[in-house]
Amino acid sequence: MKLVGRIPVEPLDDERMTNIERRIVAGAADAAVRPAQAPRRHVGFAMAALAALITGVIGWQLGGGTEPATVAGDSLPIKINTEAERATLDIGDAVIQSDPDTAFVVTRPAGGVLVAMTRGKVELEVGKRGDRAALVVRAGDTDVIVVGTHFSVDYGDGTGEVDVRVTEGVVKVVRQQQEVRVAAGQAWQSRRGRLALADVGGPDGPRAATQAGTELRAPRPQPADTTDGATDPTGPVAAIAPANTQRGSGFEIDMTTAPDLLHGRTSQVPDGRVPSGARTGSGSSNGATSGSGAMGPRTVTEDPKDPMRDIKKLIRGQHVEPALDVGKIAAQAIGEYHTIIREQDGEAESRAFYSIAVTQHLQLGRNADALNTLDGYFRRFAQGKRYSDYQPALWLRVRVLCLQKIDDRCRAAAYRYSHEVSGTPAAAIAERITLTE
Amino acid sequence: MTAAAYVEDVLLVDRCLTGEPAATRELFRRHRARVHACLFRVLGTNRDMDDLLQEAFLQVFQSLRGWRAEASLATWVDRVSVRVAYRYLSQRGRRVQTEVLVDDEAAPSFEVGPGARRQLARDGVKRLYAVLDELSPAARLAFTLHEIDGRTLAETASLVGSTVTATKLRVWRARNKIEAAAANDPVLSEFLEPRGADVIPFDDSKEAP
Repeated sequence: MKLVGRIPVEPLDDERMTNIERRIVAGAADAAVRPAQAPRRHVGFAMAALAALITGVIGWQLGGGTEPATVAGDSLPIKINTEAERATLDIGDAVIQSDPDTAFVVTRPAGGVLVAMTRGKVELEVGKRGDRAALVVRAGDTDVIVVGTHFSVDYGDGTGEVDVRVTEGVVKVVRQQQEVRVAAGQAWQSRRGRLALADVGGPDGPRAATQAGTELRAPRPQPADTTDGATDPTGPVAAIAPANTQRGSGFEIDMTTAPDLLHGRTSQVPDGRVPSGARTGSGSSNGATSGSGAMGPRTVTEDPKDPMRDIKKLIRGQHVEPALDVGKIAAQAIGEYHTIIREQDGEAESRAFYSIAVTQHLQLGRNADALNTLDGYFRRFAQGKRYSDYQPALWLRVRVLCLQKIDDRCRAAAYRYSHEVSGTPAAAIAERITLTE
Repeated sequence: MTAAAYVEDVLLVDRCLTGEPAATRELFRRHRARVHACLFRVLGTNRDMDDLLQEAFLQVFQSLRGWRAEASLATWVDRVSVRVAYRYLSQRGRRVQTEVLVDDEAAPSFEVGPGARRQLARDGVKRLYAVLDELSPAARLAFTLHEIDGRTLAETASLVGSTVTATKLRVWRARNKIEAAAANDPVLSEFLEPRGADVIPFDDSKEAP
């Protein structure tokens, strides 16, 4: 059966083609004027959602809550109580690493994230939040408001000093109606205020010695449950208050039987199960980074239930050409790369362009930005094969897309890679990606 | 695709995105023949062809901002067109060909001249598309893009947003179905596997030697 070329196309006559062309030109101009008009039915959904949100907020306010007005009633609390091990929680917007003997509750008030600590120490990697509501870490009377950064909050035993250390980006610390901005390389302590990180003994600080510890501490008694676990930083934690585990729509995560959700990022977390749906908000469904790309380096997250786990493991294992080393932290390095792009061209410009994408993906976890940068790279270096970073850029695109989700965009990127690069392990992986269902 | 063509595409798209009518016209003229051919081979003779061609290009221009320059513009335009064809097939309940076939009662004779053979070829095409009407939209797309439009399996898979394996399977099933239909239809059978040495197209502008 050979049919190629045997069925000639009946041509459209000139008049019909001209008519079509005229309508298309008019339609395209119209589309350019109104590029993103949503269908009317979406307005209905949006109105319904808005009404529900307003109802929730009003209802909560009438309920006599004392939290800020941004806290809506639909928050889903995740309670964490780590006992002997460090643990990592990927909530989509942020990766929260907690020390042993740490307790906190994560809620999602109106698109934001509230990490309310009871005790212990957490370290967060948070991507740029853009227009979304803030991510706040609450330790007693201190709020640490995040713009997009990497930092830690140490609340000790839950009664004393709060110690904030910022290793990347900027946070705002609000306490007793006073606001302090704490930037990378700085720390803030509730007793001493803002000071240089070096003055407080580096990012690990005085609790570093206990971080690696494996001793079991006896669970301490907790204050009684109050009104709503979603916003109650002192609420009971499953591991230590089993009588109070049923809390409306919330989740309870007992870190003594660590959930899958937390597994994979650190080998120190024991196996266990997590209630379905424990991932909140915009967390990605496959355990990889969310589509917004507004996160830290979460691409190492594995979801054991992900059918694409094996292929993602292969992707992660593949070498990624590192960024140009300019001896600076990520945010400053990107500024340096921009300078190189402005002032140089050719190989150096290509290298800097690629380095921005790598930094955004691997160090900052800003995958959407990394993809935009790569798009810019491919547009800018149409003759990119001449530069040494062209193939690494192609692979980086596969990596960024496919670790998020094995979908059409991922397959298209892999397809392109496998057609432009052959005979390498990465090409074999790309080929395999294109064959996945 | 050459680097120059790629740059040309990028520049053209940038101009289109500013709403420049000349650029819109140029993009349409560059791709219209290929898109039309693709739609024609997938759908066959179709009274909605004008609308479909227009719809395909309107879709292209509406989503032009989404072209990420990872594939060539032509490939991307083809993908949009295939999606339009798919939607059309799905909405029409697979029944696309509505033209009346030749009378089956008249036993065809294959020992005839070039003119009659061209007529047989026309009838063969009609019967082929009648069988294609019975296929699922996905199978029809896979088969027509690969077997009629001459695209590779990988390219076809990319266009329909499926894997190569699934596409191959669809093509194979479609081929089986067509061969089964051909077993009971001498006109279709003759069209698929012509007995003469020369395959004569039914394009009247080409005279047989």
